[in-house]
Amino acid sequence: MSESLKIAVKNLNVFYGKKQALFDINLNIFSNEVTSLIGPSGCGKSTLIKCFNRMNDLVEICKYDGEVLIDGENINDTSTDPVSLRTRVGMVFQKPNPFPKSVYDNIAYGPKLHGMYKNKDDLDEIVVSSLQKAGLFNEVKDRLFEPGTGLSGGQQQRLCIARALAVNPEIILMDEPCSALDPIATAKIEELIEELKEKYTIVIVTHSMQQAARVSNRTAYMHMGELVETGLTKNIFSNPEHAKTQDYITGRIG
Amino acid sequence: MTIEFLILTILGLTAYSFFLSKRKASALNVINPLDVHSQPHYHGLFSAILTIAPAIILLFLWSWLENSIFKSNLESYFSDVVDPYKVNFYVSGVKSFVAGASDTLMNHSNFSAAVEYYETSTKMSLALKSIVIVIITLIAFRYSLNLVTAKFKARDLVEDIVIRTMKYASIFAIFITLGIVLSLLFETLRFFESVAVTEFLFGTHWSPQMSIREGQVGSSGSFGAVPVFTGTLLISIIAMLVAGPIGLFSAIYLSQYASNRVRSYAKPIIEVLAGIPTVVYGFFAVITVGPFFRDLGIFFNIDGFSSESALIAGSVLGIMIIPFIASLTDDSLSAVPRSLKEGSLAMGATLSETTTRVIIPASFHGIVGSFLLAFSRAIGETMIVVMAAGFAANLTANPFNAVTTVTVQIVGLLTGDQEFDSPKTMSAFALAFVLFFLTLILNIISLSIVKKFREQYE
Repeated sequence: MSESLKIAVKNLNVFYGKKQALFDINLNIFSNEVTSLIGPSGCGKSTLIKCFNRMNDLVEICKYDGEVLIDGENINDTSTDPVSLRTRVGMVFQKPNPFPKSVYDNIAYGPKLHGMYKNKDDLDEIVVSSLQKAGLFNEVKDRLFEPGTGLSGGQQQRLCIARALAVNPEIILMDEPCSALDPIATAKIEELIEELKEKYTIVIVTHSMQQAARVSNRTAYMHMGELVETGLTKNIFSNPEHAKTQDYITGRIG
Repeated sequence: MTIEFLILTILGLTAYSFFLSKRKASALNVINPLDVHSQPHYHGLFSAILTIAPAIILLFLWSWLENSIFKSNLESYFSDVVDPYKVNFYVSGVKSFVAGASDTLMNHSNFSAAVEYYETSTKMSLALKSIVIVIITLIAFRYSLNLVTAKFKARDLVEDIVIRTMKYASIFAIFITLGIVLSLLFETLRFFESVAVTEFLFGTHWSPQMSIREGQVGSSGSFGAVPVFTGTLLISIIAMLVAGPIGLFSAIYLSQYASNRVRSYAKPIIEVLAGIPTVVYGFFAVITVGPFFRDLGIFFNIDGFSSESALIAGSVLGIMIIPFIASLTDDSLSAVPRSLKEGSLAMGATLSETTTRVIIPASFHGIVGSFLLAFSRAIGETMIVVMAAGFAANLTANPFNAVTTVTVQIVGLLTGDQEFDSPKTMSAFALAFVLFFLTLILNIISLSIVKKFREQYE
């Protein structure tokens, strides 16, 4: 596997008001790999993932310093436009959040926003291929103009993935994408992640260590706002360097 | 013994019965506390209800009975008078004399006898009533105390009484509504006996003045209500043109852009607008907005600009309904789940794109609802238009002219001394009925819109 660096986090500190949420994070994320972030609740996994598309900007009291480099460019620079950043870095949330629009309009949302098509046929093409990439097309092809909120939970989540794919991002962030889903829907999403990493760089936050072990190439273990250990998933799970990581993956803490 | 003293005695006994029963229930001697069916305060409450209920029922029955007896007896003193209104007049004269409200001895031979009869019999009745009620209350009090046992299901009975009370309260509210509608309907039907429905609904000339004597000039009033309703519509539309954008934009700003700090100050301030008495808005219209628009009219050389105009009344009315739109729209915008907003922003949408493409569509039913609510407020508003719109029923769409509204006409028709059988007065009821009907339709439409969008988005 050719290792090319996609995201490099350098000395990142994040504060919510006076409370520090992340302490001096250094992390490398590589192209066309799945990197999973694990750790007990409140350890800062979601905060870290939101630094990759600057969603933390929405939190009034959130301040950060340090660098997050995507393809060598520091996105924490004031010159970076968060709007265009977010078209390059898609995100899938913990709870499926399809817009109260039709399946078609959900997918077409991003392309319409950014004017990514010339005519209606182009747009149809984008919608169909995004749904196909998300493995949802066959299930919804007869319901394209029915509300996306009417789909099942697992379908909704894949709809959200398809929606993110429609603007052709380079990176997809997933914040516990399966925590609201049943095991079958979860398995489908995991299969999908497996396929998507061919073309995209994926960062996934998960509470399920089995999931991290199943889907990810690399794993980063976080604890109390600090990055404890990072490495190839197989090494982390078979032979962790730190006692804390060992305790967590064997279920002694967390 | 006065009636106040009687009531205080009953209330005192009721309170005492509550405490005694409660104490007795807490002191019940059982091995397992769960063997007592009801908690002590249920026993107390039930005893209190049992003590006060017979007294209240008796008090009402007695007062009703004594009134009808006194009335017929008093009327017999004036049986030589033929005119029933005159008899009524004497009877109330006697009552107010005895009550001390007047000191006129009316000019009738039996008047002082009637006064004497009424004075002694009311005193007798009060004394008898007090004694009977106090005795019955005491019996109920004693009996209720006896009921306090471990097995007595006071809790169930109290719950039952509470549920019944709530049920009767809602039935009462429904019947009152029905009563209002029916009284309006009957007066309206009486009005349509003298004026044709078609003339009222489609006539374009409104001039309800009737002559007092036969053959006077302008003896037949004309009751074409179209100018009145178009006036209402014109003013309400102007009000919505003012309040719609201002309310909507401030709601969007407050819910999406303002920091929590700004929001926590700004929202209550906007809501203060809703608490201002409408008569104060009326002053504002007459003293500030009126002259301002008149000067503006002079400046731009607009002819026929009166100091009372649809524009003045409408714009002040609009200011009044801003908080309805702003506050309700803000509520429904804020109710859109944060996850949708985040989802859209994460797609690379700006905040304004997110607002127009996701948040407003998702809360559309709430926004429409708030607009329609504000519109029906504007239609029914009275005080501002009375002060700022005028009484002249012009059929015009020109906002610079004076127009009148339904509510203004109703006020005009019903203030002062009125004959309640002339079409002039009765026309007020017809106006009110049509207004009521229009608002009802508006509400039904808004509810169906809300329902439709709810189905679509949930």
